[in-house]
Amino acid sequence: MRVWLAMKCFFNVLLHGEFANRCELLLKDAPLAKNQASAAAPCSPAVVSASRSDAVTLLATLQREARFVDIVNESLDGYSDAQIGAAARDVLRDCGKVLARVFALRPMLEQEEGATVQVPAHYETECYRLTGDLSREPPFAGKLMHAGWQATKCDLPTWTGSGKGALVVAPAEVQLG
Amino acid sequence: MIEKERSMTAKYVVGIDLGTTNCVMAYVAIETKSPQVELLEIPQLVAASTIESRPLLPSFLYLAPEHEAASGALGVPWQREMPLAVGEYARRRGAEMPDRTVAAAKSWLCHSGVDRRQPLLPEHAPPEVAKISPVSASRRYLEHLVAAWNAQFPEARLAQQYVVLTVPASFDAAARELTREAAIAAGLPESLVFLEEPQAAVYSWLVARGDEWRRDLSAGDRLLVCDVGGGTTDLTLIDVAEAGGELELRRLAVGDHLLVGGDNMDLTLAHRVAQLFAEQGVKLDAWQSVSLWHSCRDAKEALLAADAPESHRVAVLGRGSKLIGGTVTVDVQRQLAVDLLVGGFFPKCTITDRPQRRRASGFQEIGLPYQADVAITRHLAAFLAAHADGDNRSAAPTHVLFNGGVFKAAAFRALVLDRLGEWSGADKPVRELPGPRDLDFAVARGAAFYGWTKQQGGVRIRSGAARSYYVGIETAGLAIPGAPRPLRALCVVPFGMEEGTAVDVPSNEFGLVLGEPAHFRFFSSAVRQHDRPGALLPTIDEEELAETDSLETMLEAGSDDAETYVPVKFQARITELGVFELWCVSTTSDRRWKLAFSIRDDAQEAAS
Repeated sequence: MRVWLAMKCFFNVLLHGEFANRCELLLKDAPLAKNQASAAAPCSPAVVSASRSDAVTLLATLQREARFVDIVNESLDGYSDAQIGAAARDVLRDCGKVLARVFALRPMLEQEEGATVQVPAHYETECYRLTGDLSREPPFAGKLMHAGWQATKCDLPTWTGSGKGALVVAPAEVQLG
Repeated sequence: MIEKERSMTAKYVVGIDLGTTNCVMAYVAIETKSPQVELLEIPQLVAASTIESRPLLPSFLYLAPEHEAASGALGVPWQREMPLAVGEYARRRGAEMPDRTVAAAKSWLCHSGVDRRQPLLPEHAPPEVAKISPVSASRRYLEHLVAAWNAQFPEARLAQQYVVLTVPASFDAAARELTREAAIAAGLPESLVFLEEPQAAVYSWLVARGDEWRRDLSAGDRLLVCDVGGGTTDLTLIDVAEAGGELELRRLAVGDHLLVGGDNMDLTLAHRVAQLFAEQGVKLDAWQSVSLWHSCRDAKEALLAADAPESHRVAVLGRGSKLIGGTVTVDVQRQLAVDLLVGGFFPKCTITDRPQRRRASGFQEIGLPYQADVAITRHLAAFLAAHADGDNRSAAPTHVLFNGGVFKAAAFRALVLDRLGEWSGADKPVRELPGPRDLDFAVARGAAFYGWTKQQGGVRIRSGAARSYYVGIETAGLAIPGAPRPLRALCVVPFGMEEGTAVDVPSNEFGLVLGEPAHFRFFSSAVRQHDRPGALLPTIDEEELAETDSLETMLEAGSDDAETYVPVKFQARITELGVFELWCVSTTSDRRWKLAFSIRDDAQEAAS
């Protein structure tokens, strides 16, 4: 039972920053649990089921459909720009297709970059990052430097596997015969 | 009665496009005055243990080995343990494991040379794989759609909805019957209605245009629906007429079932690009070839776009995790793609040209009767010439509606319009219908809208039977040993026969023996539009008449039958749902026997 709890902690610490912070406070009084958790390998058969972080699911999707993980992990030393470009062109195109399908990204603001835009009096700080002369009171008018991005949906695949595969971004491919 | 109750409880009209390469499901609320057709997002396996909802369900079936299935990795939201996968994962596995993957089951459904209820697919499966029949494969795709719907609409289950299923216009009565069989087995309602795919594309255009369409088209116009999907080409002509001050659409003709489509084009380009790689000293393995095929689909669309670049770089990524090091590239010139694809599939030709019968192409697979001539323009010329009016109009269309993913490439649309313009010889150019194109989803959307118009009223395409049908009758006369008696063809269903009607076929009486099966050869024609029921063709011209599955019935003898021999005539019916029925009706009593397609016997005969 405790092993399972530890496993849960392990994955949650690894995948959820907020949980990790809370855990850190707890761990000052519970060094034993920490040891157990780190002892359990990700492919431990003791794991019955564990949910998977959406981050891993997204990464697995980008790898499966666009080879994203392969390309960012590959050393560029020894390749010409043309060689890198040839591979990157396909990877970028396919990454774009995944992002479009999963997030349907749209600029935060519709105006052209460089245009003058209005920032309302009660603006959300998540939506605008202001630079320059911040001494005045809102509303503001300013030059749009970057139009920003927002997801209009978040349709990630659902993972139905067991705990064993929760951290698998891409399975090993083995050719038989 | 049951059907009526169903349609009263139905909340939605659901349109299903059971495609050769993709399935799509669209729906619209019945009780609405302004129909908004929505697409159903279909949950499906996209990788092991990974479910994603997408509007396209690839029509692929992966028969997993037991050790893979037993892990539960193929589970779907409505079934934890699955021995097989349908959809995107199956499509991807198909590229790696073609021996375990069923593809193009629909093309097999209309292949009357085989028993489509027998486990035939995957064609080259190793002995340990339990094959499945084309009918069962179709049923599996539909079961997936039914489950996906029921999961999202538990309060309005699909069996209670008003469902419209599309079939190729070129599907004959036997192929439709098998599709229906798969649909009912999958849990679709008995009240299921069929609609021809090109007509569905037109309905989708109609719902998108609203009342505008009455300004887009005028009486005397003729619309060609040119539907080139992944594996098939389907052609239909629709006339615009005026009746009582209102514009009316009337389906004039449909083409034959042509097994040529976008996949042929991608493979052709991939084959040539593989040669370019070979010239560089790069030999591609099987895995890379599949990857190349997908890259060539993108290359085709890029190189045949309206403002295409002079060349496009095709890359095949390395298979291992060393991606950049393993990547090979080649530049493909636009001219090469144009020569290859335009020259091969849309060549310049005259209206008098005909498809070549010679089997010459290099990408045929044994089994399905793929087109020997892949030139879509020549098939188009043959189709239009076959439906000439006689007043030298050569069935020239004034407008074209494109459907199918192939027409994402602008050059193909322009080519078809150019050829049609040359052939018509008229001053007015042949034009594409205005409005946005919806090349992947139009058929499902149109099917849903068609169902809605059937319930709520609205513009309809007048159609009826797309083909005329004939029963083979042996001529009387002295038998010549070793030679079969010559066969004549009796027309039992005229072209354009409307749904919900029946016709007593005038003919001589035929004597059938009680207690024995009666067997009739059966033919159809898409070009003989003027034969009336009872017309007897002296010979069977293979240019005009295509043999389909034969018909049979068992004439069970009643206990009080003194006679063993019954004189009968034929009665043909097309039900309200578009189902074809042929009956033998006794001329001396009120007994009648329904003929059924004998798909199995025909296949055995073909095999022997």
